[in-house]
Formats: sequence, structure tokens, C-alpha cells
Amino acid sequence: MKKKLMSRRKFLGLSSSAIAGALFGPNLNMLTAAPTDPFDYSILPKGTREYIASNCAMCVNKCGIIGEVVNGKLHKINPNPRHVKSRGMLCAKGNAGVSLPYSPDRLKTPLLRTGKRGEGKWKEISWDEAFKYVAKNLADLKQKYENRSSVAFASTEGFQEEFYYYLVNSFGSLNTVRHTTLCLSTNIQGWSSVFGSFPDADLANAEYVLMLGSDRAQALITPDSVDFQRYKPKGQKLIVLDPRFTETGAKADRWYPIKPRTDQGFVLAMINVIISENLYDHKFVETYTHGFEELKELVAEYTPEWAEKKCEIAADEIRKTAREFADHAPRSVIYPGRRSSFYSHEVYVRQTFAILAAICGCWDTKGAVVPKSSIKLASHDVMFPFFNLTRDRVDREAVNLVKDVVPSAVQCPMIGTGLPDDSCAFLSEKDGSWITFREAVLQDDPYPVRGFFCFKQNPVQSVPNVKKTMKMLEKMEFICVIEQQMSDTAWYADIVLPHSTYLESWDPAHSIGGIWPIVEMRQPVIKPLFDTKTMFEISGGIIHEMLKIPSLWDDIDPVDLVDFKKNVVEDILDKPIQDYIKHQLVNHPGAYKQLLKEGFYTVDGGRPTYGKTLKPGFRFKSKTGKIELFNERYKEFGLFPLPKYCEPEILPDPGQYRFLVGRTAWNTHTSTQNNPYLWEIQKENAVWLNTGEAKKKGIVDGEYVRIKSKIGEQRIKAYVTEKIRPDCVFYVNGWGRKSPGMSRAYKSGASEAEIIDDVLDTISGGVCMHETFVTIKKA
Amino acid sequence: MKNKRYAIVLDTKKCLNCKACTVACKFENFVPVGDDTYRIWVTELPLQGKFPHLHQEYQTSQCQHCENAPCEKVCPTKATFTTPEGVVLVDYKKCILCKACMTACPYDARFVSEHHESVEKCTFCMHRVSEGREPACVETCPVRVREFGDLNDPNSKVSRLLSSRPYLQLKPEKNTRPRLFYVL
Repeated sequence: MKKKLMSRRKFLGLSSSAIAGALFGPNLNMLTAAPTDPFDYSILPKGTREYIASNCAMCVNKCGIIGEVVNGKLHKINPNPRHVKSRGMLCAKGNAGVSLPYSPDRLKTPLLRTGKRGEGKWKEISWDEAFKYVAKNLADLKQKYENRSSVAFASTEGFQEEFYYYLVNSFGSLNTVRHTTLCLSTNIQGWSSVFGSFPDADLANAEYVLMLGSDRAQALITPDSVDFQRYKPKGQKLIVLDPRFTETGAKADRWYPIKPRTDQGFVLAMINVIISENLYDHKFVETYTHGFEELKELVAEYTPEWAEKKCEIAADEIRKTAREFADHAPRSVIYPGRRSSFYSHEVYVRQTFAILAAICGCWDTKGAVVPKSSIKLASHDVMFPFFNLTRDRVDREAVNLVKDVVPSAVQCPMIGTGLPDDSCAFLSEKDGSWITFREAVLQDDPYPVRGFFCFKQNPVQSVPNVKKTMKMLEKMEFICVIEQQMSDTAWYADIVLPHSTYLESWDPAHSIGGIWPIVEMRQPVIKPLFDTKTMFEISGGIIHEMLKIPSLWDDIDPVDLVDFKKNVVEDILDKPIQDYIKHQLVNHPGAYKQLLKEGFYTVDGGRPTYGKTLKPGFRFKSKTGKIELFNERYKEFGLFPLPKYCEPEILPDPGQYRFLVGRTAWNTHTSTQNNPYLWEIQKENAVWLNTGEAKKKGIVDGEYVRIKSKIGEQRIKAYVTEKIRPDCVFYVNGWGRKSPGMSRAYKSGASEAEIIDDVLDTISGGVCMHETFVTIKKA
Repeated sequence: MKNKRYAIVLDTKKCLNCKACTVACKFENFVPVGDDTYRIWVTELPLQGKFPHLHQEYQTSQCQHCENAPCEKVCPTKATFTTPEGVVLVDYKKCILCKACMTACPYDARFVSEHHESVEKCTFCMHRVSEGREPACVETCPVRVREFGDLNDPNSKVSRLLSSRPYLQLKPEKNTRPRLFYVL
């Protein structure tokens, strides 16, 4: 009856070949409109219709949304056309958010495990029971191990995360582990080593854009993904380097399929050309930077001819790119990008990028790389008790734990990679380092960690080498997961607490830094549908139960407890969240009203911010107070102070491919695959394999293959394509799900965590997702 | 909406292949989840060239709102009709699900809707347009591939685009005179 999928989906692809020659100018017959228009166009049910401004939470971007609510039910999420950051757009995920509250797979009430872990037997319990159960387990763990850090708290970014930290700080554990080391810790560290901060790129004004390993057309970031096609100035040139021909590559003026792990070589050779041909910005270098002579000496050997052998890009092309970049400076961008959990030397790669920007003066000016500005909110100066039974983070004390996850070449001083071999030199305190943390827990060194809380993160899918994650979970005596759906991690929990969706909750104000800084807040677009709570309410509930257990407060000064009850519990958690938000905005008259109306707030009309770091007397966050081409702190730590080229450490065996990861525009990491409207776009992932390689192996497009690495094996569909280098394979994150609670995504496709080896970047503590080699054979 | 002639002009060179428009359309128009039920779509056009010299484009498309609409001609109950503004619509109450229009459409833009119990397709979101709002696909696009507007207004975005840029139409040999224009 209905036509088959292929007959409809493929049709227009074919029709394009049937496009005839171009017409020029309008060639239309004038029509006279009829005087009246009797047709009723309305499609919505009769009743009330409301438009409520808020912000999206389907990914990290927090784009502006306007919920269209018809008779109390969310009909549609429209983009907020006035939103400064999202520029009036809303992506597939943002649109698909409508189905989130109504999903039959939603967690609707607290669940207590009754069978074995992972067996899927649950009992519905009340929130009262849930809070009591959690508080009791916290008290038991604290008594048993006499160390509050024996309970670890994982979470990821989001407006409610600050309330999760109310719980963490009320219990007193220092073991928090966030998503950052799975994502951009290397990027932050590398750029900060030069400029003292991690900047944005002004794609709306740049004349020349160099993107290495970023796929802005698919891995959407606002405003960048909008600006890079919609608001780019006329004549802007885009140069993309990526082992894959991505959607971004398809938009490029030139795409270079660079050999993976050699991006640093390409940029070093650009610096070589720019310095040797005297194309750098003398005045900028002299005024703002430190260490130019040392840099000049370092890069002397990195000629384009040298780089050609590393990167497999012709020396002339590198030379041309260098000259063009310098020619367009300061309106040239070397794009910082976002996720950079690629290689063990990634911090140096990003340091190299930053140095290229610095020597060309492409910093803090229109069309360049620009430091983020932010609007300051009033903070709640809350003092949490000082607990005696709190030990330092496991991933800091654990100096010798990382041997297994550091590439062997790093451990061999003869090779001289310049990377530290035994610790995370610049670990971010709150973020922690996922891989190091997990090693420490597995080895009970320096102490046992036996409790695990997880909010919004899904380590079973997102942290490389899932076997270790599962072992880590097995060690836990108590696991509590706070989620909206039965994630893979929730599936192995002892208790699951259902979190409200972003469309049903009040979220605190949040200052979002950038070239166009804004403040956001969320208000409910619809009334909560089920017995769910927000982290604000969950933390409050657990803390109240904790206060009923005296043993949880026996290692603090009693005066602290009195203050805590007053300042944290009574004055914040027991009050409506709106009070909290109003206090945050106390220095911005009218902001609360504006946030209710528009979902965002700006000062100066949201105009871009340039030049604050170029004013006389400004001190960059570095040892010398200048932009450091030569990093003095690295020198102190015994690291290479300059971006010396790091040779590949882990090399493939014959027949192996380097495994690459990436994103699509319709899924966020591991959180959205089960959404019906996104599942419809992609129902499983497929491994990209170069046409020539596939032919050699007799693998045809669409057939299932087995992909195998040192740590695991997966079955996955093959996507045979010219769009990837012959020495790499790729598949997208978020598939091969373990949780039957995700009815659509369960067991479809292949998981990354099953394949990717756990390799550590020892400077920032980041994971290295491109240091795994795999073989592929027919399934 | 007197004396208006509506059209969509597409600059598909900017398309990110992100599928925002297709999802927006589904919610806006009560189009159910399903591989056969959609009003608009994004096609990856065939990859051109050999590694490493590659070229690829993405083509967004939908009902072409033809001035000479084959679907309208074959409809036995006149369920399919053209508004004075040139928007081809289906009066769901009149449709008898004979599917002659689905066969006749050169663009494969129609499908059977359980929601409407009728054959349906893109309406240019006339329920939004009549309230002064843009079609959902136009509004949600990150890079603004589509512009919607009135060809009779020389200052409309669509008119200005068409007077300043060369454009193509799909399947001109069918003599359907589409109201969708693909600028180059």
C-alpha cells in the first residue's frame, strides 16, 4: 500500500541529475489572487495556546527555545529568533525535545533494585523511601571506610549541576569526576598554556578559517555552526584538515585528508614558513608575547618538506596555507574547536595552534580568536562544613597508578616525548581525570572507593574500555544514578532517581561566556508529568534525611553544623528556587523579568566583546603575565616548554586501522539515540571503511563486519566510502546500548567504549580516543 | 493574503545535512515517526570524485507547489487544489485515498497520513503563514537554506534572491513550473 522507504528516500537524489540547465532571473507569470480566501488553515486543536521562552538542554549548547503549548500539552519547540547565542536556530535534537517528557521510556518514579545488578528487576518506591535509603547508604559508607571520599560523584555540565555539588559538599567527598577529561581538557590546557584562557573563534568576521579535526557542520556548536555558513563574510576561505571528508570538509575551499596524529606537524611547518618568510606580526609579538626567539629556534627544522613526510600533505600546500593565513591576519582563525580527546600529545597540538594565532596577532580582535567574556552573577556564599574524615582525591594521590594507561613510549625517556609519565601535571580539581580515577578505584590505591553517584553522565558508554568501568561498578557497594531515562549506567544502579526534563523545571541562572556573553535561565514550559524531581529538590531531600543521622555529622565542629542548617538548608534548599535565581541576578535590574520573557539576558545589547586583553597593563594568566610562546610553568614541571613535535607513540600493526570517533548533528553523545524522532534519522551506526580497503577484504557496503581492538570486539554495519583515508576507520558514538530501558536504541550498532583503549594524556588527564588500532573482517 | 504568490528559495550550498528542518516539520504538522511519512527531506547527493578529490552537496526538498500541478489534475474529488497565493493544498475531508496524486507527483512528495486519514504533503505551513509566522523548516534552519516569501513583492527576500542569483528548478522537463527555486 505505502511505498517502500527506498523509493521515497532515494528519489530526490536521483532527480538532481535530472536538473536541466540553469535559468537566470525570475521568469514567472503574474497571477491574480482571488479576492477572498475561504480555506481554514488551522491545524491545532481548539483551546489555549501559549508561547514560553526557555533554553534547550538536548546538548550542551543551551540554545534559545520557545515552547508552543496547546491546551497544556507541548506541541512544538520553536527556536527563539532573538537569541544571541543560537542566532534563531534550533537543530534536530532541539526540535526532538518535544517527545522527551512524553516518552514511554521515561523514568517516572524512584526505582529500587530488587534482583541482581543489571538484571532489570526494580521496585517502585516513594521519594521519602528513596531519600532515606540514599542517606542511610551514605552514612554506612562513611562509618565503614572512615573516609567521605570513599563515595565518588560523577556528573556532567548542566544548569542543575551546581545543586548536585550541594549534595557532594554536604557529604564531604573530594572525589568528583566530570566529563571534561573525556572531552576538551587537552584543548583548555593547550590554549591556556599560551593565552591563559580557552578562547572562542569569531567565525562571523574571519576572512580565513583553518579547521583541524573539527566538524562544525555536524558536531553543532552555537553560534559557530550557524556563523560558519550563514554569517561568514563574503569571500571567507575555509581550509579543513581531517582524515574524513566530513560535512564540514564538503563546505571547505580546500580539504586535506591529513594523516592522523600529525596535525601538530602541519601547524609547526606553517609557523616555520611564517617566521622564516618574515610574515609574522612583529609589533604584536614584541608587545604581547614571551619566548619568540626560543620558538624561532625550535621551528627552524620544521620545514614544509619535513612536514610533508609526516602529514602526507604536499609541502607547497602547507606553504600556501601559511602564506594565506598570514596574509589575512589578524582576520585569520585557527579554530580551537571543542572536543579534543584525541592523542597523548594533544596538549602540545593545541599549544601549537595557539602559538600560530599569537605570532600572527590573530587574538582578541574582530575576525580572530577571541577570549571569552562573561556576565557576572551574584554567587551564594555558602560555607559547607569542614569534615575531618575527608581524604584527598584518588586521582591526585595515585601517582603510580597510571603506568598501565600511559603509552609505553611516554614511559621511555629515551624517546623524549616531553610528556610526564606518572601523573596528571595539570589536573583540574573538580573535573578529575576519568581514566586515572578509574585506575585508582580498581586498584584500591590509595584507599577504597565503594560508593558511586552519577548525575547525567553515562560512563558505561562514554568512558573508553568499558570492561574496566564495569569492574569499577562491581566494586561499588552502593550505586545511585539520577537520570531521565534508563541509561546504560542506570541499568547497573541500586537506586535510580528520576530527574525532571528541562521542559518541566526551573533551572538556575547561568552565565555563558563567549564573544557574545549571555545569561540564561529555564522556566517550566509544561507542568511536570510524573513524580520526578530536579537536582535542586533531590539534593534538598537527601540532605534533610542525612541531617536525621547523627553519625554523618560527628567529624565536624558543631558550630559548622548550625551554620550549615541555617545557611544551606533553610536559606537555600528549603526556599523556592526562584529566590535563588533572583539572588543570582541581584546586580542586574530587570534581568529576571527579561529571562522569563526571553529566556536570555545580555548587557550592552549582546554586542561582541573585543580587545580587553590588549589594553595596557593587562596581565595574561601566565607566569610572565604575557602570551607565552615558551611556557615557563611547563619548564618548571620538567615538561617541554615549547611545542616540540611529538612522534607517534603507538603504531599500528600491519593490517590495522586507526580508529576515529566523531559526531552527527542529530545525536548528543549517548543521550539522545532513543528519541523516536532522532532514531528515525539513524537507527544504528556504521563503520566507515575506505573503498579500496573494503575491496581488498571483499567487504561490501551495508554488510555486517567485526571490528576488533586490543580491548574488545563489536559487530557493526560497514559503510564503504571514499570519504575516509585508507589507514583509518570511524564510527559515531552512542550505539551498542546495554540498557533494555532504551527500547529503540538497545543493542543497535556498536559501542565505542567496547573498542577504545584507555590511553591517558598525562598533562591534562584527558583520554585519548584516537590512539586505538583495530582490525576489520567480515562478520 | 491578497495578491501574494508564495515561493521558497533554497540555497542548498549552505546545507549542513543536520536534519533540523525534517524534525521541525514532523512536530509542526503532526507527521508521525516513520520512514514513509515525511513532508520534507534532506538528500545526500552522490559523492563526486575519488579520494582525495571529493565533492558533495546536500539537497533539501519537499512538495514543489507547482503552478501546473499534476497532482491537482488527477484528483477525482478536487481534494487537491491551489490557493490564490499558489499554494497547493489537500482538503483532507475530500480525499478518498485513491492515491492517484501520489503516482502523478514527479517529486514523490506525498504520503498517506493516518492523522488526517488522507493523502498529505507540505502546506508551506499555511497555518503559520496566515498568522504572520514563517514555515517551520525555514525558521529552524541553522544556516537559513530556505527563504519563504512573496514573489509579487519585489523587496521580499525571495524576489531579491531570484533577481540577483541564477537558479535551478527540479525536473523542468515535466513542465510543472515549481514554486521552489534552487539558487546556485
